[in-house]
Amino acid sequence: MAKKKGLSDSLKRERKLGYILIAPSLLLILAIAIWPVIQSFYFSMFDYRLNDPTKSSIHMDYSLDLERYLNNQPFLLTALDNEIEVAPPEVSEELEDIKQNIENYDEELLQKDGIEERYNEVNEILFNYEVPSSELKFVEIDGSFGEEFEETFGQVESRLVELESQDALENARRLTGLASGLNDSIIEPNFIGFEHYSNNLTDSRLWKSLGNTMVFTVVSVGFELVLGMGIALLINKAFFGRGIVRASILIPWAIPTAVSALMWKYLYDGQNGIIAKFFADIGIIDSMSVLLTTPVGAMASVILTDVWKTTPYMALLLLAGLQTIPSSLYEAASIDGANKWKQFITITLPLIKSSILVALLFRTLDAFRVFDLIFVLTGGGPANSTEVISLLAYKVMFTQTNFGEGSALAVIVFICVAIISTIYIKFLGSDLLGDGVKK
Amino acid sequence: MQKKAGVGFYFFLIIFVFVIMFPFLWILLSSVKPLSELFGPEAFNWFTSNPTIQSYISVFTIRPFHLYLWNSLVVSTITTVYTVFVAAFAAYAIARLRFRGKSIILGVVLSVSMFPQIATISPIYIFLRNLGLTNSYLGLIIPYTTFALPLSIWLLVTFFRKIPFDLEESAKMDGASMMQTYFKIILPLAVPGIFTTAILVFIAAWNEFLFALTINTAESHKTVPVGIGMFQGQYTIPWGEISAATVVVTVPLVIMVLIFQRRIVSGLTSGAVKE
Repeated sequence: MAKKKGLSDSLKRERKLGYILIAPSLLLILAIAIWPVIQSFYFSMFDYRLNDPTKSSIHMDYSLDLERYLNNQPFLLTALDNEIEVAPPEVSEELEDIKQNIENYDEELLQKDGIEERYNEVNEILFNYEVPSSELKFVEIDGSFGEEFEETFGQVESRLVELESQDALENARRLTGLASGLNDSIIEPNFIGFEHYSNNLTDSRLWKSLGNTMVFTVVSVGFELVLGMGIALLINKAFFGRGIVRASILIPWAIPTAVSALMWKYLYDGQNGIIAKFFADIGIIDSMSVLLTTPVGAMASVILTDVWKTTPYMALLLLAGLQTIPSSLYEAASIDGANKWKQFITITLPLIKSSILVALLFRTLDAFRVFDLIFVLTGGGPANSTEVISLLAYKVMFTQTNFGEGSALAVIVFICVAIISTIYIKFLGSDLLGDGVKK
Repeated sequence: MQKKAGVGFYFFLIIFVFVIMFPFLWILLSSVKPLSELFGPEAFNWFTSNPTIQSYISVFTIRPFHLYLWNSLVVSTITTVYTVFVAAFAAYAIARLRFRGKSIILGVVLSVSMFPQIATISPIYIFLRNLGLTNSYLGLIIPYTTFALPLSIWLLVTFFRKIPFDLEESAKMDGASMMQTYFKIILPLAVPGIFTTAILVFIAAWNEFLFALTINTAESHKTVPVGIGMFQGQYTIPWGEISAATVVVTVPLVIMVLIFQRRIVSGLTSGAVKE
């Protein structure tokens, strides 16, 4: 009994230590990777644009721009007073009523929690001809009160416009101007739900970019797998100069994708590119400019560059899988009279199945997320023919500064990646996590 | 399959290496051509008769290329050191200690390493902008954690698992505490694995593009991939300078790959192969 108790004590200590040791990593991953994805999803439900001051932050509630409100409301009241004095009786009655509405709303506004203080502060700042800070001037107001604002001041403006059209006002321009200024001081919530998704899912640009991504992924990963497998089978033997071959395999993988993309852009160039000239000379393409200026040529160029860069890496992964197969299996098979092809199908393939799947999983996801290669090599052109989904999301976010829509596209990429990984992991099973402890 | 290699095999090998290395070779040859020979009929000559280092000079004088190199070096080094340090503890716990939820944690780590960067970039960008960290080293080191940390943990777990368990048992018998066992027994044995992980994380950080492109937009804080990528002007592309800059960044990488190729290969294949 005593021994058992001691064991469980040490087990407890071990468990505690385990949690302490993984805590920093888990917290970092949670804060820097998982939380941003959740936030991306949240952003995607808002009309969130960095270049538009009324939409440059996300807000579920209405907010009121006190600066604009106080720059219009008191002057509108004064202007109404002046107008009432000179107007004929029925008009002045109408104006009185309008004025009453504005004053009522103001009173209600001041009764809201914490507004009066800021209201007075902003007023004082404006009185001194200074500019209030944006933290001070924007106050949040709740939904029903915001709707009331829109209704009240919308009516004020339309009634004044009506009077203006009847030519009943002395200073009509000023009154309607102030009323419309007042109307602009309310900022509607920019929560729009799934509108970005429904807009994008019916937009042909999204489907085209998804299609481009699929074509790029399937074709390049397909070529990489077949070529990589061929190379791995060929170099899976002892030979002189292994080190040089291995190093030259690693170099395309090691240099930055942006740099290799630029390098290939030079080789593909329509006037001075040596590869373009070579392809044109041997008759693969009609003229040198085909590679980067036609849709098919550009896609083929992008794929060729990716195949060049990652086939060696694929070969390396598969080679490592091949080297775990004991040669005695092949010897036994050839004694039984199995030919090379039969050996490949019955021994090699089943034994490196999980190596192939792991390599395919990582390569498929990498290819699906492709960004830098295409950004540098073609910029998505010509005519968006190589625009992949990540590039589209980037352009919407950072060129149009539309973070709401960009985030929606990013979430779509995330969902696609999640679906692809789930499919692969179904095939791989728990192999991937491989709990080595059990061995 | 262990056959002796024949002549045909070496012929294939030479072609294979040539195809892989050709772009580098051509860039190297172009980088020493005078600018006038980069265009027109002379553009297709292999060798120039008037070699010059003008392109190399202008990369460092007209362009702030040394700044790009320095920025990349600082960001990648700090990212590598700090993530490998943090990951070493987590990986040890996952590989060697008994506690519940291990495979879930490893699953989370693996899925995070598959996250597309574009899905995290908008909140990270807003966060860094609000803190005033855009155009700073920290502005890249923080987001680089998203891929560097899962990669480090993943690689280190496989390395830690390879260390024999008997060593730990006997240390425990001798009355060593768990942290003592970690620092005195496990860590020294794991040094090669940690070093390999560091190389791979460093290369990943050095090559990163999207975060660097969006977060550090000022010339003074650009990294090498973005710096070179942005060499292209709107109408002209300075191929001479691009070639020279490419050679400058590729040569150290080639040397590094030549020295560490065994380690890199073992790191790349460790997750993919079951032994």
